Amino acid sequence: MGNQFNSTADYVASEQLMASVNIAIALEKPLLIKGEPGTGKTMLAKAVANSLSKKLIIWNIKSTTKAQDGLYMYDTIQRLYDGQFGEEGVDDIARYIKLGKLGEAFESEEQVILLIDEIDKADLEFPNDLLWELDQMEFYIHETKRTVKAKQRPIVIITSNAEKELPDAFLRRCIFHYIDFPDRNLMEEIVRTHYPNVEEVLLKEAMDVFYDIRNMRNIRKKPSTSELIDWINALQIGGISADRIKKELPFVGVVVKKDEDLTEVNKNMN
Amino acid sequence: MFSHFFYTLKAKGLDVSLSEWLAFEEALSKGLAKSSLTAFYYMARSILVKSETEYDKFDMAFEEEFKGIFSNDALTKQMLSWLDKPDMNELLHENEKQWLSNMEEIHIDKDDVETKFKNRLKDQDSEHNGGTYWIGTMGKTSFGNTGGNVGGIRVGGTTGYQSAFQVVGARKYKDFRNDKVIDNRQFMMALRKLRQFSTKLNIPKTELDIDSTIDKTCNNGGCLQIVMERPRKNSVKLLLLMDSGGTMIPYANLLNELFQSVHKSNHYKEVKTYYFHNCIYSHVYKTPECENGDWIDTEWMFRNLDKDFKVIIVGDAAMAPEELYSKDGNYRGPNGGLSGMEWLQLMKRNYKNIVWMNPKMAIGDAPWREAETAIKNLLPMYPLTVNGLKQAMEKLMMKKN
Repeated sequence: MGNQFNSTADYVASEQLMASVNIAIALEKPLLIKGEPGTGKTMLAKAVANSLSKKLIIWNIKSTTKAQDGLYMYDTIQRLYDGQFGEEGVDDIARYIKLGKLGEAFESEEQVILLIDEIDKADLEFPNDLLWELDQMEFYIHETKRTVKAKQRPIVIITSNAEKELPDAFLRRCIFHYIDFPDRNLMEEIVRTHYPNVEEVLLKEAMDVFYDIRNMRNIRKKPSTSELIDWINALQIGGISADRIKKELPFVGVVVKKDEDLTEVNKNMN
Repeated sequence: MFSHFFYTLKAKGLDVSLSEWLAFEEALSKGLAKSSLTAFYYMARSILVKSETEYDKFDMAFEEEFKGIFSNDALTKQMLSWLDKPDMNELLHENEKQWLSNMEEIHIDKDDVETKFKNRLKDQDSEHNGGTYWIGTMGKTSFGNTGGNVGGIRVGGTTGYQSAFQVVGARKYKDFRNDKVIDNRQFMMALRKLRQFSTKLNIPKTELDIDSTIDKTCNNGGCLQIVMERPRKNSVKLLLLMDSGGTMIPYANLLNELFQSVHKSNHYKEVKTYYFHNCIYSHVYKTPECENGDWIDTEWMFRNLDKDFKVIIVGDAAMAPEELYSKDGNYRGPNGGLSGMEWLQLMKRNYKNIVWMNPKMAIGDAPWREAETAIKNLLPMYPLTVNGLKQAMEKLMMKKN
């Protein structure tokens, strides 16, 4: 098999994750990635694209996104305008059909990576509306009576923050991988890719506090990787010496965002 | 292949569909398990399990199915077929001697194997309460040092994989199980199930249907043609009744979350919340403090909140049976001539859909919890967990005549 995903220079994937990606590629099924915020779900698609040197098409899902948006849009308003001003070619509907991200991925001459980012943001029914398209890799444009069929089956990566449950029918078609929250070793590696010169003691102290906070039972919003990175940055810029970190919790607001959590942390740390 | 595993998964409550199973078989035949038990574990999990909340069930099924297979990490095709449970069952029934003679077949010094094997078995006994262990043989040092491995599987030194059985044994996804008590977000997700969109509501067509208007206008050659539609509204009305008695104090946080979720889920047509103490009597209180006088008559509630309200009662149903059956009232005052049980029966008669959510419900039958059992027989009762709430919402959405 030519398509084998490996870790890239700036993205360290766990073996399990790589295995899941390769299984998804081999079985030609969408790969669904879940995990806490800040575990690198979106980055994965970029890394896969880099590793396989393929083009990446990103379809960002918002709460108002409809499945149709990904297929194509019929720009009726433009046609109406053109009609009123007597533009050329108004009778050619195809001129007003604009392909969405999914359509773009299908039409591409070369195989692409299609990232459907944060699918859970959309309406509950959204994934169901895409079942046929993702299964058959084709859709039909009613206006022009044309079927858009994938020239090269794209590698589909879907991320979800678990804000909404995805429908079973959809899940059954996916390969699923849950990205675990990084353990200390991996976390150290991640921080070091951002700040290669971080002071050893400072990093250790900050990580101690960070994992302590994450392990507190009553924390409502657990701090994520990116918050730790911000915090370490703040500590470095502020010139805080490592021995003050545990005692004073400087800039802890960077890591803990909720009032209740802040009280909880202060209570537990002192 | 592995059809027995399929049923083990089912038995553990994993809803594996046939199409997923076929995908799994396809992956096997494409060699994606890479001759490694660990890769096999991750492959099976990524294809068959679709939620981290199910990982724990999968781990348990995997352990049950493949426990006792111990080898270093490498698996050959032949071993895969041995892993297939039907074959394994046969092997399991063979006694020690028989499989020592198996050893002989592959030319390993019998005495050596026997002593090492017995030591091994002894060690395992102390860790695992025994069980029958099948030993995979690759003609290598089958009984090598397996350290503290839970499943008895050894990790190949260089693969960097965690041993499947280490992962399984650690049960690190236990916290994700969705039968544990829930948090706010999950509450809201569950509450979302409670919706019944209706355009049949008796409301005028007030919403401009922009898409249809544009389409119609364009089809009409540019002459404006306006399309109006009825707004789609959730027609569900919700009545939330919460116990705020002393025994509920440990669950105050949980109830608070539920309360907030209900009120944040602003998709209901109407939400009413009242409180009660242990059981519903002639009054329900407007505030969780349940102060005398700050109440409404339960009968007023029956009259003013019609039968279409879907009712969620939250309480631990932990009261003395006397309290449930006494007509004379409890220490908070008279009952209005009816016992708590009779009030609950009235509730059932007045509302089409009622569920009782119990934060500390007994698993299975618990006849010693008299009050809980009595109420359970009257009203459908669910534990206040993600799964419980989902089931309760489904129950509430069922049509009753």
